[in-house]
Formats: sequence, C-alpha cells, structure tokens
Amino acid sequence: MKVITVVSAKGGVGKTTLAANLASVLAARNRRVIVLDLDPQNALRLHFGIPLDSIDGISRATLSRDPWQTVMFDGVDGVTVLPYGAVTEDDRRRFEALVDSDPAWLAHALGSLALDPNDIVIVDTPPGSSVYTRTALTAANFALNVVLADAASYAAIPGMERMIDAYAAPRADFAGQGYVVNQVDQSRQLSKDVLKVLRNMLGTKLFPGVIHQDEGVSESLACDTTLIHYDPLSQAAADLRACGEWLLSAVDAMAASPRKLA
Amino acid sequence: MSSAKIPSPETEVSVATSRLERFVDAGIWSSRIVVILLTLFAAFALYFVVTVPLAFGQQLAFATICFVCALGFRRLQGQYATLVMIMLSIVASGRYMFWRLTETTYWERPLDAAWGMLLVAAEVYATLVLMLGYFQTAWPLKRKPLPLPADRSQWPTVDVFIPTYNEPLSVVKPTIYAALALDYPSDKLAIHVLDDGRRPEFKTFCEEVGVNWTIRTHNRHAKAGNINEALKITKGEFLAIFDCDHIPTRSFLQICLGWFLRDKLLSMLQTPHHFFSPDPFERNLGTFRKVPNEGELFYGLVQDGNDLWNATFFCGSCAVLRRSMVEEIGGIAVETVTEDAHTALKLHRLGYTTAYLAIPQAAGLATESLSGHIGQRIRWARGMTQIFRIDNPLTGKGLKIGQRLCYLNGMLHFFYGVPRLVFLTAPLSYLFFGAHVIEAAASTIAIFALPHMMHASITNSRMQRSFRHSFWAEVYESVLASYITAPTLLAVINPKLGKFNVTAKGGQIAKDYFDWSISRPYLFLLLLNLLGFVAGIVHIAINWHVRSEVNTTILNLCWTVYNMLILGASVAAASERKQVRATHRVTMKMPVMLKFSTGRTLACETIDYSEGGVGVALPSKIEVPMHERVTVSLFRGDEEYAFPATVGYTEPGRVGLRFSQLTREQEYDFVKTTFARADAWTGWSEGRRPDTPLRGLSHVLLVGTRGIAGLFEHLYSDLRTWMNKRPVDVKKLKTKDQ
Repeated sequence: MKVITVVSAKGGVGKTTLAANLASVLAARNRRVIVLDLDPQNALRLHFGIPLDSIDGISRATLSRDPWQTVMFDGVDGVTVLPYGAVTEDDRRRFEALVDSDPAWLAHALGSLALDPNDIVIVDTPPGSSVYTRTALTAANFALNVVLADAASYAAIPGMERMIDAYAAPRADFAGQGYVVNQVDQSRQLSKDVLKVLRNMLGTKLFPGVIHQDEGVSESLACDTTLIHYDPLSQAAADLRACGEWLLSAVDAMAASPRKLA
Repeated sequence: MSSAKIPSPETEVSVATSRLERFVDAGIWSSRIVVILLTLFAAFALYFVVTVPLAFGQQLAFATICFVCALGFRRLQGQYATLVMIMLSIVASGRYMFWRLTETTYWERPLDAAWGMLLVAAEVYATLVLMLGYFQTAWPLKRKPLPLPADRSQWPTVDVFIPTYNEPLSVVKPTIYAALALDYPSDKLAIHVLDDGRRPEFKTFCEEVGVNWTIRTHNRHAKAGNINEALKITKGEFLAIFDCDHIPTRSFLQICLGWFLRDKLLSMLQTPHHFFSPDPFERNLGTFRKVPNEGELFYGLVQDGNDLWNATFFCGSCAVLRRSMVEEIGGIAVETVTEDAHTALKLHRLGYTTAYLAIPQAAGLATESLSGHIGQRIRWARGMTQIFRIDNPLTGKGLKIGQRLCYLNGMLHFFYGVPRLVFLTAPLSYLFFGAHVIEAAASTIAIFALPHMMHASITNSRMQRSFRHSFWAEVYESVLASYITAPTLLAVINPKLGKFNVTAKGGQIAKDYFDWSISRPYLFLLLLNLLGFVAGIVHIAINWHVRSEVNTTILNLCWTVYNMLILGASVAAASERKQVRATHRVTMKMPVMLKFSTGRTLACETIDYSEGGVGVALPSKIEVPMHERVTVSLFRGDEEYAFPATVGYTEPGRVGLRFSQLTREQEYDFVKTTFARADAWTGWSEGRRPDTPLRGLSHVLLVGTRGIAGLFEHLYSDLRTWMNKRPVDVKKLKTKDQ
C-alpha cells in the first residue's frame, strides 16, 4: 500500500479535482486505487458519480465504529471511493477530536483494509493547516503539493514545507514530496514568469510539465465525472496522464529502497 | 530480442566484414617501405591487367568473372568492400579505355574522325572524372561534432554575419530571429545584418530586435566585399556566415565550434546547405524528399570525402571561419564569382585545415524556378573555371596531392557541358551520316563498354546510394549542359568574362506553365534524336540483309532512345508546376496544444508548419469549424509559447491554422520553437526507397516518358490557347463597340 497525500497551502488550487483525476489515471494503468476524502467539504465523491444525497462516509463510520468497508463505493474508472460523509456540526467536532487524539488512527484504519503492497491510496485534504492534513501527512508515503502559477501560491510554499518536515519527513517510509503547478495559462506573461521562478526554486521536486487550465475540468465536475473520462483528448487530460506517470515512478521507486529515498 | 539469436545472412556478412577489416587494419601496412613496394606492385599489376590483349571469348569470360566478383562484394557491408568494388570498376574502365584508345581510333573518313575524336575526348573526360570521383569519395570521413568545454567562460567570441542585398525583409526576418535564438552566451555573440541595400526598414527592424545593422558606402565585390568590410569593424575570434535566407538551428555554434578548439590549424568548418522547399527539379518532377536532390551528392558524400583529404570547400553560408586566418589571406577572396571555394583554396595553400560536419544545422529556401536554378549553376561553373584559370590548384605552393586532386575534380566537374552534349548527339552521326565513330563490331564494343558502364553503375550506386540515385546525374547534367557550356568555355578563354547574379528567392509561380524558352535546347536535341530514330528505322528496313549494319544500327537506336528519355526528363523539369504558397510547409511532428474560445483544450501533434501557421492532426477525426479562433501552444523543452490563430482549413481529423497578426516577440518565439529546433532537419531522408541501378534507371526512364507525354499535352493546350486568342479578342472589341 502506498499512501499519496495531496496537500495545498491555500484553497481554490484545484486540489480535489487533481486528486480525483490522478486516481483515475492510475486506475487506468491497472492499479487498484482507493481515494480517501479527509475534507469535510465531502466533494471528492462528486467526481466519481456518487449521488449528491448520499451521506455515508468515513466520519460516520469511524464514530459508529463500523468498518470502512461499509462505506466504500465503486466510482467511475474503477476507482474505489471513501467519502468523508455528511455529519452534523457536533459529530464533526467529535470526529476531529478523535483524529487529533490518536496520531496513528489513519494508519490503523488503512491497515484494516488489508491492501496489497502495490495498491495506491490517494488522500485528499482540506487546504492549509488542519487536523486532517496533519494526520494525512503522518500516514503518507508521498506528499503531493498542488500550487498555482501565482504570487500567493509561491508565498505559501514555505508554510506547507514546514508541515511536511514536521509530520512526514522524519519517518523512514516517507519517500519525499513533489509539486504540481495547476491551472496554467501560458498566454499570460505573469504565469510564465512565476512558473520560471517555481522551476528554479523547486528543481527536480517539480513535475516537469504543468496542468493546463481547461474549461473541461469544471464541465466534467458538473457531469459527475473525472476529466479523464469526460474529455480524454484535452491537453489537461494529457497533462494529468503525464503527471500520473511521473507520480507512479516516484512512488514505485520508493518500494525498491524506501530508506535511501527517505 | 530472441530474434537476434537466429543466424541471418546479415550477421554472417557482418562477421565476414569484420574479419576483412581486421586484416586490413593490421599493423604491417603502416610501414613506409611496405606501402611503397605494394604500390609499385599494384601499379604494375594494374598496368598488366589493363593492357593484356584478350580474344573475344577471353574478354567476355574475364569481364563476366569480374562482374560476378563485384556483385559478390556488393553483398558485403563496409568501406573495404567498397574499395574492392572501386578497384574492379577501375580495371573494367581501364581495359575499356585502353582498348578504345588503341584499337578504335582509326577512322577512314574525315567525318568519322571528327565525330570519333569528339566522342573519344568526351569519354576520356568522363572516365577521368569517374576516377577522380572514386578518389575523392573513397573514404568519407564522417566527422562527429566535438563538445565545447563545460565552462562557458572558455567559449570563444563569435560574430554572426547575415549578408543581404535585395531580399525582402520577410525573407531575412526568420534568419535574424534564429540567430538571436542561438544557444550561446550573449556577451560572446554579436549578430550583424550586412545590408548592402542600405534599406531603412532593415535598420528599423534590426534596432527593434537588437542586432547590428551594418552597412558600407559602396557595393564593391558583392557578398565577399560586404563581408570583408564587416571584418574591419568587428572583432570576434570566429565568424559564422549565413545567407540571408539560411535559418540556423539553436545548436549551430555549439556543434560547430568544438573542432576549432581542438585543431588549432582549423580555419573553416562547413555544414550542409539544407533546403526545406523543393527545388525546380523536385517540384516539377514530383520527387521532393523521395529522390535525393542535385545538392545532396555534394553535401552528403563529396564534402565528407573531401574532408578525409583536408580539402573541404567553403560554400559561402552555414559555415564558421577563424578570423585570424581569414585576415591572413586578405579576407574573403574577391577575384572570382565563387568567392567561397577560392577562399578555402587560399586557406589550404597556407597549410590551414578545413572541416566538414554532415549535420544540417541550418536550412533555407531552394531556388524557385528552373531558370533561376540554371542561373545559379552557371555562376558556380563560371567561378570554378575562373579559379582553375587564375589560381590553378594543380600548380602553386602549399597543397598536398590529395587536395590538388579534390580541387581538380571540383573544377573539372563543371566542364561536363560539352561531353554531355556529345553523348546526347553521338548516335546521330551514324544514324544521319553513317559515320563509324567507333571502329569496331557492335559485339566487341559491347563486351568492352558494358563492363565499364555496369561496374561504374553498381559501384557509384553503392557509394552514393543515400545521396544520388542511379542515372539521376544524367538528368541533372542534361538540363544544365546546354547552359553551362558557353560560360565555362568563355571563362577558360578569359576569366574576366563573368558577372555576379543574385538568385531570386521567396517568390511564387502563379500557374502551371511550360517554359518554352528555357527548354529550347532540350526540344532541339529531342527533335534531332527523334529524326535520328526515324532515320535508323528506315536504314534497318533498307539494309535488312546486311547483318552487321543492322546490329550497329540497333546499338545506335538503343542509345538514341535512351537519350530521348533523358531529354524527356529534362523537358519535364522545365514544365513549371504551380506554386501557390508564398511560404513553404515543413513537415514536423511535435506536440501542440489548441485552446478554443470555450476554454476547452485539445492535446495534438503538428503535421507541418510554415511561417504563416501550422497544420495539426486532430485525434479521433474531430472537426473544428472554419474561422474558429484558437490559441496554439508550441513547446520548446519546458517552455511553452502561445500564438493566436484562426482556422483556415478544416477536415475531420485535420486542421490548418493561420496565425493572426503576431507581435515581434511572438514571431521570434515561433522561429525559436520551429525552424531553430536542434532536431529540425534530422531524419529528412527517412522513408526513401533505397537505390539500385535498375530501380534508378526505370524511375528516370519513367520520368522521361512522362516528360515527353506532358510535352505533347502542353503543345496541344498552348496551341489551342494561341488559336483561341484571336476570336476572343475580336469578341471583346465588338462588345465594347456596342
């Protein structure tokens, strides 16, 4: 089992969409992929055709001590979805307190799924610092940081690096972190310039391509599916496939020698 | 990979070659005495083989065995097998020429003697050029580029010269952009547009993009003089010269400069002149990228062969020169109209070396029309003859024997005009006048001449297979022969007779037409051969009972038919095909992103590009409506460049995008991501059918047949328009009156 945690320092960078589409790409390469939504917005499931009125999810299951298997959904493209679930405000606070008090909670819960060593778990988190991001980083083998080619994203990078250093980096089974620049429009000079700065700063940690801005991404969500499914010929889909390839080679390399990479 | 283990004929052949090569590479051959003794022995043996008289049957047997041997060696890979084939070809040609000069040069009548001597002279010339060609290209050096030191501070300073005279700015722009895109430290690179037209719009443009607009007060010595003036006001250690329409790739300087740092005597390094538009032959004969064009033999093989003998010629463009050495010879040579070749000769005379890298690192437009092409070749022929006269490479100081022979061939090559005309008319002397130009029976001629021609054919086909298909030289030479004969002869008599003419480029041919004036010589020769053919048929009918007469006539008839087909191909070359496009498309597959006004994108690959736009293959037969606005993104490494465009052509799965008004910055970006790509011109000849003599012959004959058929079509249609013209004019007048 390889846990990829998708994080971002600030909101609105398309993190959930990226997590969903990468899951879809990896599933298309004959890997078993489980997506886990640790964001109370409970939006990840919408990419996979799970009905809007469904309230089941890992928050409810955890509180009622049901096994996670009961809230697993078979999403589009063969991805297995673990939604956050819809909970009352009180339940959410109880759930967060539970997660906060037990740092190994996520690792245990994932362990109970008895996954294959090659299976991939993609964990989506809320933006910025939160109990969810913290616990997701604690269980992560790889952290994928989503940024935009703008000044705010650039400024927020050090904050997220500190979190990764605190919760993920010290562990022997943590393989490292990668960056992806999302929603890029290179007909705008500012995007080009920021991209250049990001490339200089992040070097090999950065996915060499970019994910292009594409209206098809929003349209696919409106149609309850992933972009890979909705418009496989688009540039953004091609970018996502390339990014999936890059991600896969990064996490598969760690299986060979986790210590070296850590 | 398991298939590699199965023994195949190819692997056996390569084992045999390596054994042969190991033997030849053994140490004993480097001893001077061994070499001299062996050379003497070989010369004696060759003399014996060439001169020993053989009876008819013996000669037939000997020739057959030699040819079978040659066919056997043809199956082996490697350069040594080629050398053996060359040797066999020299033997066959030697025996033929010896027999020809000693046995067949007795003529009964003065008319026979006149024709006969012309033909013998032409054959001696052809054989001499054949032998020199073997020498020149026996072992192409195939030099590889050397990298520059990793430390960029050690890289030398370079001036890039782009001489221009009257070419429109639109032609020169891409070259300037590409020069700006050269991968080289900007503090070590100065770009100079040498504008002999002194045009204000050039000045404005150069200032805008940040290159030097360099002018002089007069136009003495054309391009050579232009460069020499620029040498006085610049100071880079090296100068790279590009004709104003030769667009360099970004890697040009890094690929070319390495050898200069290694070889301190290196004065000039030449790269190929590559053309991304079809030349008149390719366009009119429909052979673009299928059959190697006229220049490919020179840039693919001859220059590489020259490099072995340290005799690479300078070709005026796409080359790097070391300033100190150019200054030492007094700048670019100005005495002749081919200043480039003469400059290299002067450098060689001082003991400096030159080098050739057969990697296309720049590309340009080919000459548009056949008349322009011919004009350019006339200049080359005239210039080389001038050098032959005023600075003969056979005499004078400083040259090695190999260099002398390479230069000699470079110049003699341009004297093919008269011999080619002789070959095209030789059978006529018999068919019209009954002149016996060769005093021998047809069968005897056959057993001597055929081995000579067949060996030359298979040997040249092997050596030149990627660069010149068999029998195409005949087509190229026949087209030019009538035109370069007079200028070369004039220049031999007086080198001063010669005028520089600039080749017009970047134009377009508005409609299909047949160039009657330029093809006048071919039509005349074709008509003569046709008459000869008829005369021959009549002659056979009359002399049916005289067997020797019939045989000789048939031999001459075959020759005439061959000549007619070669002339047919020349005629076809003069039949100008319409060329509607002002800019040329370059086939290139590279990733491209399309972004539509809806914000949706499409990941595709390009089919081709031109200065005005790109052709894109769309996945899954997608269709895009006409006139749709699209943003096109091209990539160079990590970098992406977006260009506004509209759909100008559409079909399912394919779209032609025309750029909207591009800014200077965008024009520059476009050249950077297309023409200036390091890999822009590699793999140009991929997918060509390999040459064999018979395939080449049948292709040439087919082209010739089509040419003759096309000639009659043109004749018919031109006659019709001519006939119709008058009534139409009358009608017009009438309507005006009403």
